[in-house]
Amino acid sequence: MVTHSQNQRESRSSRVRPYALTHGRTRTRHQLLVETMVSVSDYDTELAEKLLPESRSVYEHARRPISLAELSASLNIPLGVIRVLVSDLATEGAIVIHPTGQAYSYDHNILERILDGLNKLSA
Amino acid sequence: MRKILIVGAGQAGLQTGLCLLEHGYDVTIMSARTPEEIRGGRVMSTQAMFHTALQHERDYKLNLWEGRAPRIQGLGVSIAAEDGTRALDWVGMLDDYGQSVDQRVKMAGWLELFEDNGGKVIFHGVTTSDLDSLTRHYELVLVAAGKGELVQLFGRDPDRSPYNTPQRVLSVSYVHGADRRPEHPDMDAVRFNVVPGVGELFVIPGLTLSGPCEIPFFEGIPGGPLDCWSDRPAPGEHWKRMLELMRQYVPWEYERFKHAELTDSQATLSGGYAPVVRNPVGELPSGGVVLGMADVVVANDPITGQGSNNASKCAASYLESILERGGEPFDSDWMRRTFERYWSVVEPATTWTNAMLQPPPAHVLDIFSRAERNATIRKRFVNGFDDPADFGNWFLDPELAERYLREVDG
Ligand SMILES: Cc1cc2nc3c(=O)[nH]c(=O)nc-3n(C[C@H](O)[C@H](O)[C@H](O)COP(=O)(O)OP(=O)(O)OC[C@H]3O[C@@H](n4cnc5c(N)ncnc54)[C@H](O)[C@@H]3O)c2cc1C
Repeated sequence: MVTHSQNQRESRSSRVRPYALTHGRTRTRHQLLVETMVSVSDYDTELAEKLLPESRSVYEHARRPISLAELSASLNIPLGVIRVLVSDLATEGAIVIHPTGQAYSYDHNILERILDGLNKLSA
Repeated sequence: MRKILIVGAGQAGLQTGLCLLEHGYDVTIMSARTPEEIRGGRVMSTQAMFHTALQHERDYKLNLWEGRAPRIQGLGVSIAAEDGTRALDWVGMLDDYGQSVDQRVKMAGWLELFEDNGGKVIFHGVTTSDLDSLTRHYELVLVAAGKGELVQLFGRDPDRSPYNTPQRVLSVSYVHGADRRPEHPDMDAVRFNVVPGVGELFVIPGLTLSGPCEIPFFEGIPGGPLDCWSDRPAPGEHWKRMLELMRQYVPWEYERFKHAELTDSQATLSGGYAPVVRNPVGELPSGGVVLGMADVVVANDPITGQGSNNASKCAASYLESILERGGEPFDSDWMRRTFERYWSVVEPATTWTNAMLQPPPAHVLDIFSRAERNATIRKRFVNGFDDPADFGNWFLDPELAERYLREVDG
C-alpha cells in the first residue's frame, strides 16, 4: 500500500534533486553532519559587522573551508548551536554548505582535521 | 519577522511551528530525528484525539490524514467480573468523532510540511548547553521536547503533582487483522476495559504506516500481573504476552484479537512514568529563559487518553498568547501568564486523570452501572473525553453526581 506520506516523499525528492547538483543544499534541508564542510564564498565586511558575536566568529572561521566539528571545537560553541548558526548563515546566502561525503573523501588532511575536531568535542 | 525557536518535533512543537509560519513568524524547529528516522522508529503513543483538539489542527489545514483514519464515533466501557464475564458493558456516542493517527505518520509528515512551508529544521538532539547560547539568537525559545532529558530545566511543582512514582505500567501493540467488536460491528469506538485491582485495557482504532489498525493498550497497576515488561520482550513475544493477558483478564477482547498480527517490527512499546506538573519557565546559566510546553510542563498518565489532546490545546493556547503579544518582549512574566492560561484549560483534564488512577469510588460505579440503561448518562461521560472540564460539574463530586443522576435517572 502506498501511503500519502510516501507520495509526498517521492515528489519531494524529485524537487530537491536540482539543488543537490548545484550547491548540495536544498532550500532549508541542510545536511549538517559533524563532518559537513562549510565555507564563505564572498566575504562581506559589512555583513560581518552586523552579525551577533557567535555568528560572526563562525563567519570569520569559514573563510577557509571548515567542518562543523572543527568550528564547534575551535570556537568552543556547542554543536547544536553551530548547526543553528550555520543554517541561518546559509539561509541568508552568507555561507555555503558543501555536499556531504564529496569534498573531503580524497583529502586526508581535511579528514584528519575533522577527526581532530571530533576528539576535542568529546573531550 | 519575530524569530522563534522550538525544540522538539512532536504534537505540540510541530503544531505550534506550523501555525506560527502561517502567521508570518520566522520559525526554526530542532528535531532529534529526521522524518525517515521517525517513520522507521518505534511507535510512541496511542494518540487518540477528540473533536476540540482535532479542530485546532483543521483550523490550520493540518488534518492531512482525516480522510483515511478510522472515525472513532463512540467510547465503550466494560468492567470485568471475577469469573471472566462482564459486570457491565456499554458504549456511548461521541457528538463528534475522534481519530488516532500514528505519531510516526503524523510527525514525519508534519515535519516535511513544515519544511515545505518555509520553516527551518535542524536535526539535532538539543542539550542544555546548546540552549544556553541559543536563547541569545531567538526572541522566544519553546521547549516542546516531551518527556526527554530537557525537562530537568523545569522544576517539579509539588502543589500540582500528587504522585511521585509511575501509577501504571504501560504496554502497547499496533495490530492488523482484529475482528470487529461484536456489539457494534459497523462502528469504530475506543474501548475502555477495566479489570478491578489489575488495570485497564484500552483498544483504539487508528491509522498507521500500513493503513487502518487497532491499538490494544494495557495500563497495569504496578506490582500486579500486568506489570511484566521489565525484560523488554522482542516485538513478537511482546504481542504474544499481551494476547495471553487478554485471554486471562479480558477474554471478550481476546476473542477479537486472537488472530491479529503486529503491523510492523516497531509496533510495540512498554514503559511508564510518574505524572507531573512542572514550573513553566526554565532559566539557563547565561540568564536566558525558555518556556516549556505540553508534556514538558504537564505530563499526565495516559489512562484518560488526554496527552495529545492537551498538546494540541497547549499549542492553540500558546499561539494565541504569542499573537496577542505583538512586538512586545517574551519575558519570563509573559511566559508565566502564558502557562497559567493554558493551565486553566489543562487543569480539569489533570484533576480528572489523577482521579481515574485511583480505584473507582462508589458514586462512579453507580454512574457506570446506571449508564448501562441510560443513554444520556453514557453520552455525558464519553463526551467528557473531548471536554474534561465538564467532569467537575458532576462526575468528580459525589454530591453533584447524585443530584445529576436523580435528574436524569430518577
Ligand atoms: C503509551 C501511551 C499512550 C498514550 N495514549 C494517548 C492517547 O490515546 N491520547 C492522547 O491524547 N495522548 C496519549 N498519550 C500521550 C501523548 O502521546 C503525549 O502526551 C503527547 O505526545 C505529548 O506531545 P508533546 O508534543 O508534548 O511531546 P512528544 O510527542 O513526546 O514530542 C516530543 C518530541 O521532542 C523530541 N525531543 C525530545 N528531546 C529532544 C531534544 N533534546 N532535542 C530535540 N528533540 C527532542 C522527541 O524526539 C519528540 O519528537 C499516550 C502516551 C503514551 C506513552
